[in-house]
Amino acid sequence: MSVINNRLIPTVVAGCFAALSLVSTSASAENGDTLKAVNDRGSLLCSGHNGSFPPFVQVTDDNEWSGYDIDYCRALAVAIFGSDDNLKVVPISWAQRFPSLQSGDIDVVIKATGWTMGRDTELGIQFSVPYFVGATNVMMPKELGSTSPETLEGGSLCANAGTSTERLAANFFKSRGIEIEMITFEKSEETRDAYFAGRCDSLVGWGPNLAVTRQSAENPDDHAMMDVALALEPESAAMRQGDDNWVDIVNWMFAATWIAEANGITSANVDEHKANPADSTVEKLLGVSPGIGERLGLSDDWAYNVIKQVGNSAEIFDRNIGGESVYKLDRGLNALWSDGGVIVPMILD
Amino acid sequence: MTEASIALPPQTPFSQRIKKSLFATPLDCLLTLICAFFFTYIIYLFVDWAFLSSIWRADDEPLCKEAGGACWSVIDARHRIIFFGLFPFEEHWRSTLACAVMIVTFIASCVPWFWTTMKLSALWIAGFATFYILMHGGLFGLSVITPERWGGLALTLFIFAAVSIIGMPLSIVLALGRRSKLPVIAKMFGLFIDFFRSLPLLTILFTAAVITPFVLPGWLQGDKLYRVIVGFAIFFAAYQAENIRAGLQAIPSGQDEAGLTLGLNYMQRVTRIQLPQAFRNSLPAVVNQFVITFKETSIVTIVGFFEILASGSAAFGTGQWTVHYIEVYVFIGAIYFVFVFSLSRYGAYLERKLRVGHG
Repeated sequence: MSVINNRLIPTVVAGCFAALSLVSTSASAENGDTLKAVNDRGSLLCSGHNGSFPPFVQVTDDNEWSGYDIDYCRALAVAIFGSDDNLKVVPISWAQRFPSLQSGDIDVVIKATGWTMGRDTELGIQFSVPYFVGATNVMMPKELGSTSPETLEGGSLCANAGTSTERLAANFFKSRGIEIEMITFEKSEETRDAYFAGRCDSLVGWGPNLAVTRQSAENPDDHAMMDVALALEPESAAMRQGDDNWVDIVNWMFAATWIAEANGITSANVDEHKANPADSTVEKLLGVSPGIGERLGLSDDWAYNVIKQVGNSAEIFDRNIGGESVYKLDRGLNALWSDGGVIVPMILD
Repeated sequence: MTEASIALPPQTPFSQRIKKSLFATPLDCLLTLICAFFFTYIIYLFVDWAFLSSIWRADDEPLCKEAGGACWSVIDARHRIIFFGLFPFEEHWRSTLACAVMIVTFIASCVPWFWTTMKLSALWIAGFATFYILMHGGLFGLSVITPERWGGLALTLFIFAAVSIIGMPLSIVLALGRRSKLPVIAKMFGLFIDFFRSLPLLTILFTAAVITPFVLPGWLQGDKLYRVIVGFAIFFAAYQAENIRAGLQAIPSGQDEAGLTLGLNYMQRVTRIQLPQAFRNSLPAVVNQFVITFKETSIVTIVGFFEILASGSAAFGTGQWTVHYIEVYVFIGAIYFVFVFSLSRYGAYLERKLRVGHG
C-alpha cells in the first residue's frame, strides 16, 4: 500500500495544482458582473486578515475591524450602498487572498498588496491605481544628530537575514560609497530587540512596519527615519481580470478621496462645499451637477457619501497611520503631489 | 481487609525513603541541594514575572515598562477579542452562553449515564442546535450573525466539537469497512484512509476552503466554515479509523466466530462483541487523537478563521499592545492547557473504569 502511495502523492498534488491553474486562468469576470453580484447580494465582501497587520488591518477593543485598508473597504461599500453597514470583512490569510478573489469569496483585495507583473499577468488579476506607496527605510536614533545616509558611515545596520530588504540596504549603501556593517538575524523580533538593545546603530525595514516598531520603543520620539527611502513598492487594490467597470469604480473611489483633499473638502465641511461649490470639479464630485455616478453605475451622490462618512485621503491617513494614530508616521510620499508626495489625482471632467 | 494488608509489602516511612533516595551520600546531598536551588530559582523567576512584579489593570499599562514583570493589562483590555474574535460587541452574551452550552455538552457526554446511542444523540443534537441558534441567530428575535464574524474560543470549540461529531462515527465506519471480508470494499476503504492520511492537513483545509468552490456546484458549496469542518473531519476520521482498527485486530478471532456460531448477525457481533472491546483496547490512542485534533484546530487560521490563536494575534496586533505578545501567548497557552489537560485526565479515568477483568 505504501508503495502505491509514494507514487500517488506527487501525482495527486501535481494534478491538483494543474487543475487549479486551469480553473484560475479561466475564472475571469465579465464587465459589470461584480457590481451586479454585490448589489444582488446586498453586501460587499472585502479582504480582512487572519489576525492583524497594523496599521492596515486591526481589531478595535469592541471587536470591530479598523485600519487604513479597512477604511478603503468601508469607502467602497459606502460608494455602492450609501452606508458601510453593507460591508462584510472576510478574514483571509496572505496566501489565500488571490485564490479567494478568484473563487468569489471576496469581491476585492485591499490588503497592502504590491503590484507585480507576475500577479498582474499570470494570476488573472487586475490592479487599481496605487493608493499607497510603501517605502523600505532605515530607522536610527535621533541622537545621531542627522537623518542623512552619510550619518551612518562606519556604523552598523540590523536587518533580517536573507530578505530583499537586506539586499536592498547593502546595495544602497555600497552604491553611495558608505561603509556600513550589516548585522543580520533570522527573526524580525530578534532584529528589533537587537536594535533597541543598541547592538546596531540603525534598523532597516518596510516603512509602516518600522513605524509600528518605533511605536513599541521605550521612547518613540528618540527614533527617526532616514530622509532617503531605499525602495518603493506601489500598493494597489486587486480585482478579477475582465470586469473593467469594477476596476473603474475602485479607481474612482480612491480618486474621490484625493480630489476631495486637493480641494480642501473634509468630512466636516463637505455639506458647506455641496451648498456652495467652488468650481465645476467640486460640483461634479459632490453630485451637484450630474455625471459622476451614472458613468459607473452608481448614484450621483456616492462620492459625497464617501467623503461624509469616511473622509478624504488625508483624514484616512491621519486617523490610521499618521498624527492622530499611535504610529505617528510622516505622510511623506503618500501625500498629494502638491505637498511633495507621489499621489496624483486623476482629472474629473 | 486483613488479607489485603498482609499482601502488601513492608512500608518504609516517607522521611526514610526521602533520605535514602536523595541524601544517601555527600555527593547526593550536594546534587539534591543544587537541583532544589535551581528549580526554586526558576519557579521564583516565573512567579515574580507572572504575579509579583506584574501589572493587572488595563489603565495601568503605562506602568508596565518600569514594573519589569508581566503586563496583564493587555488581557484586561483585549480579552474580549481573544474570547469572541469579531463577534459583535453587544452580542457577546450569546457567544459566552454558546461556549458554556458546548462545555456542558462535553462534560455531560463524559458522564456514563448518557452512554446509550439514543441519549448521546439527543444530547448532542440539543447541544449543537442551542449553540448554533445562539451564535447564528435569526430565531427568537436574535439578530443574524454570519460565520465570518464568529471567532475566538467559541469558534475553536465549535470546530473541535463538529469535527469530533462527524469524524467519530465516520471513523468507525471506515475501520469496519477496511476489515470487511469483501476484498473490493476492504481495498476501497483502505485506499480512502491511506489517501487522506498521506495528505498534510494544511493541504486538505486549503483545498476545502479555496479550491472546492471552483469544482462544486453552487448549491453544494455551503459556507466556507462547513467545507473546512468536513475536510477536517475526514482527516480526523482517517487517523481515528486506524486507531480503532488496531483495537479491533487485538480481539481474538475466536470471539467473533463464537458469536457467529450462536447465530448473531453482523450488527449484533459488531455492536456487542467487537466495538466495546476495540474501544477499550484503543482508548489511549483514541484520546490522543482527540487531544491532537483540539490543538490542530489552530491550523484553520491559515484559511482565514479567527480561532483563538488568530484572535490572540489580533489582540496584541495594535499600536499600544504589540510589545505584550508574550502575555497573550501565555494566556492562550493556559486556555489550551485547561482543555487538553481535562481531556487527558478524563481519558485516564476512562481507562481505569473500563479495565474490567484486566487486573
